[in-house]
Amino acid sequence: MKKVPLVVRQADVTIFNRSLYLERQAIAAYVAGIPLLNMSEAKVAKQFLNQELEHAGELLGLIAAAGGKPIPRAPSYDIGHPRDAREVFTILHGLEANQIATYLNAIPRLSPGPVRAAVASILANDAQHVSILRLELGDSPAPAAFVTGRE
Amino acid sequence: MPSQRTRRELLGRGVLAGGLGLAGATVLLPAEAAAATAAASAPPSNIAVLGRLVRLEELILYAYQHVLASSLLPSSAQPVVAGLRNQEQAHIHALSAALSVLGGTSPAGPVNLAAADKDLSHRNVSQRLGQLRGGKDALRLLLAIEHVAEGAYYVAMSELSGPTLLRLGAEIMASEAQHATVLTVLLHPVDLTQAVPYGLVQGRR
Repeated sequence: MKKVPLVVRQADVTIFNRSLYLERQAIAAYVAGIPLLNMSEAKVAKQFLNQELEHAGELLGLIAAAGGKPIPRAPSYDIGHPRDAREVFTILHGLEANQIATYLNAIPRLSPGPVRAAVASILANDAQHVSILRLELGDSPAPAAFVTGRE
Repeated sequence: MPSQRTRRELLGRGVLAGGLGLAGATVLLPAEAAAATAAASAPPSNIAVLGRLVRLEELILYAYQHVLASSLLPSSAQPVVAGLRNQEQAHIHALSAALSVLGGTSPAGPVNLAAADKDLSHRNVSQRLGQLRGGKDALRLLLAIEHVAEGAYYVAMSELSGPTLLRLGAEIMASEAQHATVLTVLLHPVDLTQAVPYGLVQGRR
């Protein structure tokens, strides 16, 4: 089925670029962290990495549809210096939670509706990542009825 | 990576219309027809969207309560599912409060099992509450209805207006997505990749 092109406002490009930065930061963290995980952990993390790449692609598509220009990749991203799996999961949890909080602030400012829905579909996936990362850290995977990124 | 048993223990920690009638003598003038067409394509009101979401949440709550009362679930899954049920109740309270502020009235939930099963059928959920054959069957039904919830909120995010309602909708959509993940972990505790299958959560519509 052919996807109907979204109408995207130029005014929203700044929001998408801010989100793109955070997605790329998370991608960098997954790439750096996966070698520190055991095989089964790494399998899940690689899946999440691919999904973060999909999010970045979605944002790049929205920026292009708005006629905007994506921010260039940073030479490096501040992702800390994890030494073991627990530290990797802690860093990833923080980055995913920060993305959730950023998307929640952005969504009410976005228009039209289908663009909000597209961004909400990314946010919901990041919330699922948080659930699994919390499990890995020994925490409850769905601690609150309202996901805010502060859990 | 926690073992299967450990993961279960973690999960168990308290998570844990009408349209244009052509019959009769009414003939629309061009301007009226244009206005009617515009009205037909206009997004539904916040009251309509919230009412739709409350009705769905009431069905979800009914399903959770039925499953919990059925004793089909293994004891390790009971507190987890009860936690998700409590979160569904919180969603209903928040949505109903928002609806009330707008002057709307919350629709009632299913009156009985048959009504709930009819609603599930209407929403293309193949399982029936009245025909559950075990714990896994019950979890699959709850998972299917959580996917319906994801889809409902995905659509609602296009239709709602106003920052407070949009934020509320997004927070609940993310919560429903987490519920789907938790239920999948209960069904497939060994392979966590199944719990987050898609990079873009759009649910079942």
